[in-house]
Amino acid sequence: MERDLLAIDDALRDMPRDPDPEVGALQDLALALRSDAPDPDAEFALLMRERVKAGFPQARRRWLPSPQLRSLIPAVGFAGMLLVALSVAVIALPGGGSGGGGDDDEGGAAMLEAAPSDGAGSGGGAVQSMRAAPEAAADSGFVPGRSDRRIERSVALELGAPVDRMERLAEQVTAVTNRLGGFVLSSSLSTGEDSAGGDFDLRIPAARLRPALRELSGLATVRSQSQSGRDVTRQHVTAQDRLRSARAERASLLRRLENATTDAEAEGLRQRLDLVAIEIRGLRARLRDLRLATNYATVTVSLVAEDGDSGAGGIGDAVDDAGKLLVGGAGILIRVLAVALPLGLVALAVWLGGTAWTRRRRESALV
Amino acid sequence: MEAGSSATIAGRPPLAVPAEESFAELYERCFTRVYGYVASLLRDRSAAEDVTAQAFERAYRKRSSYRPGRGTVEAWLFGIARNAALDELRRRRRHTELDPAREDRTLPGPEEGAELAIRRDVVRAALATLDARERDMVALKFAGGLSNAEIARVLGMTESNAGTRLHRTVTKLRKACDELA
Repeated sequence: MERDLLAIDDALRDMPRDPDPEVGALQDLALALRSDAPDPDAEFALLMRERVKAGFPQARRRWLPSPQLRSLIPAVGFAGMLLVALSVAVIALPGGGSGGGGDDDEGGAAMLEAAPSDGAGSGGGAVQSMRAAPEAAADSGFVPGRSDRRIERSVALELGAPVDRMERLAEQVTAVTNRLGGFVLSSSLSTGEDSAGGDFDLRIPAARLRPALRELSGLATVRSQSQSGRDVTRQHVTAQDRLRSARAERASLLRRLENATTDAEAEGLRQRLDLVAIEIRGLRARLRDLRLATNYATVTVSLVAEDGDSGAGGIGDAVDDAGKLLVGGAGILIRVLAVALPLGLVALAVWLGGTAWTRRRRESALV
Repeated sequence: MEAGSSATIAGRPPLAVPAEESFAELYERCFTRVYGYVASLLRDRSAAEDVTAQAFERAYRKRSSYRPGRGTVEAWLFGIARNAALDELRRRRRHTELDPAREDRTLPGPEEGAELAIRRDVVRAALATLDARERDMVALKFAGGLSNAEIARVLGMTESNAGTRLHRTVTKLRKACDELA
């Protein structure tokens, strides 16, 4: 076989005919096949030469202006795929969107943006509060159509600060609370090296909750923040209605007492009046509690000791920060790869499949 | 085939391609062979002209995509021409069966001897006994003037496989010629 193939190539190179008749016949066939190949018309050859010289001018403008731009299409496609992967990865980050807290300042800032921005204590912030804790509102009895909503709000804030700043921080928490019209219900502070920390139970006017949270968060590093809201409008309305009824009943009893003709009748009315008075006192207390709970938000601030001083930090801090950055970056990279790799594999499979399909479709013309 | 074409095949280095070769030079070197290959495959001069023009235009526009490490420039160019020809075949549902009514070959001139004309008819009849893939192989080798390595690159197979298939095809063709003679 090798000899025959070489002989064919020799014949096509116009080498002398092989003396072997068998091989020579093969060479004759090769030359016959070559000479039988069609030649182009001179006119067509001339036309083609002109087109080649002119660089194949296009009859119509393509949708892309230049080959350079066309060459960017794969890169743009890849960048788009990477962007999609990055977006998906970031969205998929646990706690990446909202909530969560963490030890970075960005998390605290995001939580602050989600804080309710209500108006007076009698309403205005119901929508924001509902968004903050929809489950709680649903459980407590949502009363549709009312604009004067009563919302109980509570916020838990954990601030981290160095031990040497703990006392100063406690003073600042109290100062902020007083300045905004709130009060400190209870507080505790420990400045010992081993157990430094503190807890504050604050009541902040609901109308000023947002600036209060902003100021408190600015005092130190926000380690975590959580908040909840509970719609108590129905309880409030119910208590008001019951109080109104009880007062009406008391007025009625008093009128009947004035007109009582017998001692027994008067005594019976007095006993009923006592019961109604107890009910009225209870309802008034209930309303007072509800108003207090909705006019003032409960803010719990926990102070937690952090390592290091409050300054710019030394080499150790820098190394720690660098380590955290690297770990964070690696985490994002892994998430991006987790999305990009399957996408890339799918794209590769589609491309390979498309290429194979196109090739098979073309080859089918020869079947 | 014209004498110039034979000289081109004879003088052409088997693999090396000058890096600085312009597209016009490539065209001058390959035009006749590309047309011969495409016309052999399509058996229609008009369609062959369209497809040849299309192939060279595609090659011109994609010339930056040619990578010398993936084969010679001839193999690359004939790959483009083959794809265009197969697309045309498929589009026109003509396939490669020999259709005497449509076959459009150059007739032997008056100066051509009767013996040569008879031999040409025998070869054409023998070609008709081959299947489409075998005719494709013959066209690449003898009309396109490609080396076995280049044929292997165009058809996506190993060089030894291409050589084996070519030998088998030529042997089959020769037997057919002997029977028809």
